[in-house]
Amino acid sequence: MNRVLPVIFLILLSLLFIVLQSTFFSPIHFGHAFYPDLNLVLIVFLGLFSDLRRGAIIAIGNGYMMDVLSGYVIGIHSLSRLSVFVILKGISQHIYSQSRITQAMAVLFATLFLWGFIWVSLRLKTDDLEFGISLGDVMTQGVVNTVVGLPVFWIINGLYAKVQW
Amino acid sequence: MNFIKRHPVLMSLVLFFFATQVISLNLEEKHAGDPFSRFVLLLTYYPQKSIFALTGTVVSIWQNYVDLVGVREENERLRLEVRKLREERFRLWEEELQNKRLKNLLGLKKVYSYKTLSANVIGGSPSMLRSQVIIIDRGKEDGVSEGMPVATHEGIVGRIFLVGAKSSEVILITDEISAVDAYIHRTRARGIVKGTGNGCVMEYIEKKADVSVGDKVVSSGKDGFFPSGVVIGTVIGVESSAGFIRARVSPDMDLDSLEEVLVILKAPENRVANDE
Repeated sequence: MNRVLPVIFLILLSLLFIVLQSTFFSPIHFGHAFYPDLNLVLIVFLGLFSDLRRGAIIAIGNGYMMDVLSGYVIGIHSLSRLSVFVILKGISQHIYSQSRITQAMAVLFATLFLWGFIWVSLRLKTDDLEFGISLGDVMTQGVVNTVVGLPVFWIINGLYAKVQW
Repeated sequence: MNFIKRHPVLMSLVLFFFATQVISLNLEEKHAGDPFSRFVLLLTYYPQKSIFALTGTVVSIWQNYVDLVGVREENERLRLEVRKLREERFRLWEEELQNKRLKNLLGLKKVYSYKTLSANVIGGSPSMLRSQVIIIDRGKEDGVSEGMPVATHEGIVGRIFLVGAKSSEVILITDEISAVDAYIHRTRARGIVKGTGNGCVMEYIEKKADVSVGDKVVSSGKDGFFPSGVVIGTVIGVESSAGFIRARVSPDMDLDSLEEVLVILKAPENRVANDE
């Protein structure tokens, strides 16, 4: 079993998704919540299939790049995505990850959890918060992520299986 | 490691605690533009630029073969000319009003003219948490620095937020953290134009001021970031708000589909607002 290639594959994939997210799939082109969050799909994949250490490093690195490119508070994407990863890692031991229904549920749950985490963190620490994202936006993104992201998830799964051997 | 796997909720709570602390720290001193951030900008610059070039080439080939080339070019040239003429007309109107006011004054007004740098928009924000951000293909190597205003021929776009070696991030005027000191062009009523996420509002306009739908809003230059007399947008709604007038402002250009912008090479000044 190859140990180096999967790591390189995941790092390159993370970079590719960040670039795609900031060009083709940027919310500025797609409208507020109608864009698929490819990076979150990657985090869900890491949570269900990769090992803890490498997955955590890639999740936090991916979140950091999101922080920088979105011009937001450094750390909010990194920590929220790491949190999604950790929760999914814990759950993945008790579920059958290869099931497509499980994967769809995981993507939807991850979207809801991610925005819940961000909303509560900001709410606790800012008095005059104007959180420009509604529950409807989050639900929309959850559905978009699940529908559009799931085929992407299967492609990653297939490629990852190939680079492992 | 097994502890983390066995107690994901506890770990998530720890991360949540860290997140709240990080927010506290950053709210006081947002984005210092640390070397890691600059590195991320540099790392993503080449792929973004390649995608921009690739899509540009594909779009260009498509347009050149499918459209009537001559008509398109002519159309493009005329559109540019109309834009320039509109800008010129607006500038003359502005100068006429200014001249009338200055006739009553004995002081001399220094007229600033700044160098500009054209830039391509090669990307946007990857997150809806702050979606009103674009990435341009000009950076420190081209003389760009944080706080510089960015505009098009049609008006203000935003200002430079983070500068990498070859690319920079621009916060659009429609973003919630954006604020521009401005006035209503027709009546000179002052106010602050703030972003709302999907548009702008001009706040703190005096109750007695004359503001109506269709009025042009221009920058005053008092905030130290934006030069004076640059168009921000048009008033599309007026309402009263806590002793002031609040006007909804729509930018004159489509900020979601920007392709080229101009960076105004003007470093931010430490100026105090209301220094008239």
